[in-house]
Amino acid sequence: MAFQILLNLLIAVVWMALQNSYTPVDFLFGYVVGIFVLLILRTVLRFDFYMRRVYAVFKLFLLFSKELIMANIDMIRIVLSPKLTNKPGIVAVPTRLSSDWEVTLLASLISLTPGTLSMDFSEDGRTIYIHNIDVPNREEMIKDIQDKFEKAILEVTR
Amino acid sequence: MIEILISIFVLIGGFFSLLGSIGILRLKDVYGRIHAATKSATLGVVATITGTFLYFLIIDGEFSGNILLTILFVFMTAPVAAHIISRSAHRTGIKLWEQSTVDELVDTYPEKERQLHQQAEKTERS
Amino acid sequence: MLEIVFYSVLVIMSGSLFICFLRAVIGPTMSDRVVALDTFGLNMIGFIGILMMLQDTTAYAEVMLVIAVLAFLGSVALAKFIERGVVIDRDLD
Repeated sequence: MAFQILLNLLIAVVWMALQNSYTPVDFLFGYVVGIFVLLILRTVLRFDFYMRRVYAVFKLFLLFSKELIMANIDMIRIVLSPKLTNKPGIVAVPTRLSSDWEVTLLASLISLTPGTLSMDFSEDGRTIYIHNIDVPNREEMIKDIQDKFEKAILEVTR
Repeated sequence: MIEILISIFVLIGGFFSLLGSIGILRLKDVYGRIHAATKSATLGVVATITGTFLYFLIIDGEFSGNILLTILFVFMTAPVAAHIISRSAHRTGIKLWEQSTVDELVDTYPEKERQLHQQAEKTERS
Repeated sequence: MLEIVFYSVLVIMSGSLFICFLRAVIGPTMSDRVVALDTFGLNMIGFIGILMMLQDTTAYAEVMLVIAVLAFLGSVALAKFIERGVVIDRDLD
């Protein structure tokens, strides 16, 4: 992946030299040309095109923005309701993610999304203890977290 | 036109800041308050600063990297601070609210800390 | 028109800062106070952002960044202090 970015930068610099004008706009244009060159070379050299990961990061960001806004609508409902009827609780959620980096990202995303707050990790770091502001159904909540974020994170890192 | 956009951002920011504070005042236990603090206050601040960034970028034509860095920093640190405060609160034996249903975290503690929790419960009752 | 919006949001924000202050004073446990102070810092960042627009200067951008850093470090240090009574772990395993 680092090699591909280096190659892309090199193509951009060569493009600037060919145009004989060294402005940021030319560099950006050269970079876009480099992306297309890599896209075509991908079939010949058989490497994994890195823009796919950039796309996955973009998708994760979109999902995160949507969830953040949903989280706040949820908070409005709970905070401004005249009587507090929510049932909080702490639930242990196992995760399939393996590296520390991925688990950290998952925990941070969980903290910023609806009604959930990551509190602690188990010894081996594969179970996250999550405080949920409203737990009507334990199994459903675990499944929800695993479906939503784990998939998106796995797409970025694998 | 751009003034309306900036006004919307700033008003949303003010509203969510107030909502976070009301949540901190109204919810019954520490963990609920941390929920309000991380979610509403973070979104409120980020919306306000985005409005500020747009104001300087479009009306004054001045790109301010510092403001962008602040947005990034707030997004990065809010979950970490919430995590560490809630963990320390739970480990020092602060109880959950009475309406709470499950607590699977206490079961994982060593014997000494579980006694701390039971002690806290006893002093609450007496 | 923008000025009216800015001033009204400043009033809302000061109300929110006051509520955080109340929680920091009455909060039954130490953790409550830490949460309230953390939110106080966050709200202050937004407050300064609006002041920047009112006075039409980017001179306070660094101030915002420093307050963000200090609020974060302060809450982490206080939380560690409540948890074990030690702020910096010296044993690096």
